[in-house]
Amino acid sequence: MVEKVKIVVDDDRCYLCGGCAGMCPTLAINVGPKWEFFIDKCISCKICITACPVGALKAVPLEGEP
Amino acid sequence: MRYDVVVVGAGIAGPIIARNLAKAGYDVLMIDKKAEIGSPKRCGEGISIGVFDKYDIPYDKRFINREIYGAKLYSPSGYELELRYKKVSGVIIERKVFDKMLAFYAARAGADVWPRTEATGLIRKEGRIAGIRAKHEGEPVEIEAEIIVAADGVESMVARWAGINTYAPPHEFDSSYEYEMLIEGYDPDLIHLWFGNEVAPRGYVWVFPKDEDRANVGIGINSDNPKTAKYYLDKWLRERGIPAKKLLEINVGAVPVGGFVKELVRGNVLVVGDAARQVNPMHGGGMAEAMGAATIASRWMIKALEEENLSLLQNYTREWWEKDGRRLEKVLKARRVTEKLTDEDLDLFIQILSGADAEKIAGGDYGEVIKALLKHPKVLLSPRRIKLLKELL
Ligand SMILES: Cc1cc2nc3c(=O)[nH]c(=O)nc-3n(C[C@H](O)[C@H](O)[C@H](O)COP(=O)(O)OP(=O)(O)OC[C@H]3O[C@@H](n4cnc5c(N)ncnc54)[C@H](O)[C@@H]3O)c2cc1C
Ligand code: SF4
Ligand code: SF4
Repeated sequence: MVEKVKIVVDDDRCYLCGGCAGMCPTLAINVGPKWEFFIDKCISCKICITACPVGALKAVPLEGEP
Repeated sequence: MRYDVVVVGAGIAGPIIARNLAKAGYDVLMIDKKAEIGSPKRCGEGISIGVFDKYDIPYDKRFINREIYGAKLYSPSGYELELRYKKVSGVIIERKVFDKMLAFYAARAGADVWPRTEATGLIRKEGRIAGIRAKHEGEPVEIEAEIIVAADGVESMVARWAGINTYAPPHEFDSSYEYEMLIEGYDPDLIHLWFGNEVAPRGYVWVFPKDEDRANVGIGINSDNPKTAKYYLDKWLRERGIPAKKLLEINVGAVPVGGFVKELVRGNVLVVGDAARQVNPMHGGGMAEAMGAATIASRWMIKALEEENLSLLQNYTREWWEKDGRRLEKVLKARRVTEKLTDEDLDLFIQILSGADAEKIAGGDYGEVIKALLKHPKVLLSPRRIKLLKELL
């Protein structure tokens, strides 16, 4: 089992290029005028984190959250 | 509102389709989420000179920054290979102006064009896709159309909403980072490319001159690389002592380099350009491929509308795969072989080629290039190198 995570963006570093959204296997990211994440679709594969050309994404653990 | 065709995305592929369909007399709407078409750019802006005639695009000085006469390749230890032509071989354009002018040509031909309009979903009616839901300046709009074109770039959602599988693993993408900056010391009549596993894993660093002292300086690396494209570009500049202080733009993006979409049409939805992963997987150039695919798609859309038979759209998939897909699959195979080259291989090959018959190499005779390499003693003594080169042949 992969550890379930939440993906968060650093708005100050993100260029809204859409690369992460294009590579996400489950459409869990949408990049329009802002970067949006849909946690119910995310499978915690972390492809987006590695793919971002500037390292604007990171995973935060979900444990402990209600 | 109702149109014959709605095109999502006003990059390269979208405006070519919108123009062609409007010229043929159909009602077309092209939307883009950007407020200013063409901006920000996600591009090195290099394109071969042949596309202007081939795709009927005016050679307009307003988007031509500089004419280019060839390329210079650099190996990891600094061996150089120069390919210089007597005639202009390519140009460095200004995407901001180019994309906008392509949209202008489409509008002038009769298409409606709306920026700041983001597609947010599909309209489904009686089991079929009847159009696009969008947001214009925050207001929801519903656009009904006979045919829907997903020309929405690398981040494409439209085709995926329609059930077309455009997924490709991250290894089949490049992550890119680029400065448009002041830079000196590189022949501004050539594009410059640096290779090496430490320089740019799987990809290359480029300098595409827009002026004598201004260029797009960028990098593409495999998207599954644990380090970022920015890390590698900044390292490259630092190691060469090139000051990155006079920067005019920072450009970021991902480039599909493999994973060409198998099914390009589903019902009345077509996917084209980066959204369909139609990019040359060796060098990551996608503009010419997008124009080619858009041209094929337009032709079948016109035919399907003329004959009121949407099943004719399927011919786009067939024709693209026969003409371009098969060729790009071969390029992808070659790319996979080049991924195995060590820095020593790159040094040796570029060193050998710089001494070989430059005329033949510049002529693009790929077979001759491999043959020249295969003749060299250092290659002949290495079964591994022979095997790699034979795979390339
Ligand atoms: C750093 C970098 C350098 C490159 N250098 C070169 C180069 O030198 N030469 C070359 O040939 N290619 C280059 N490429 C590739 C090239 O930029 C693309 O292949 C090309 O732009 C593809 O055209 P397109 O029309 O398919 O998509 P795009 O040009 O990406 O256009 C897609 C459009 O769709 C819009 N859109 C997306 N989603 C929505 C939505 N939901 N609603 C409304 N609009 C939407 C976007 O805003 C965008 O304007 C480079 C790419 C990168 C990232
Ligand atoms: S890939 Fe990085 S820069 Fe691009 S939209 Fe995603 S988070 Fe932002
Ligand atoms: S972790 Fe995987 S599934 Fe989740 S947003 Fe990133 S790419 Fe998509």
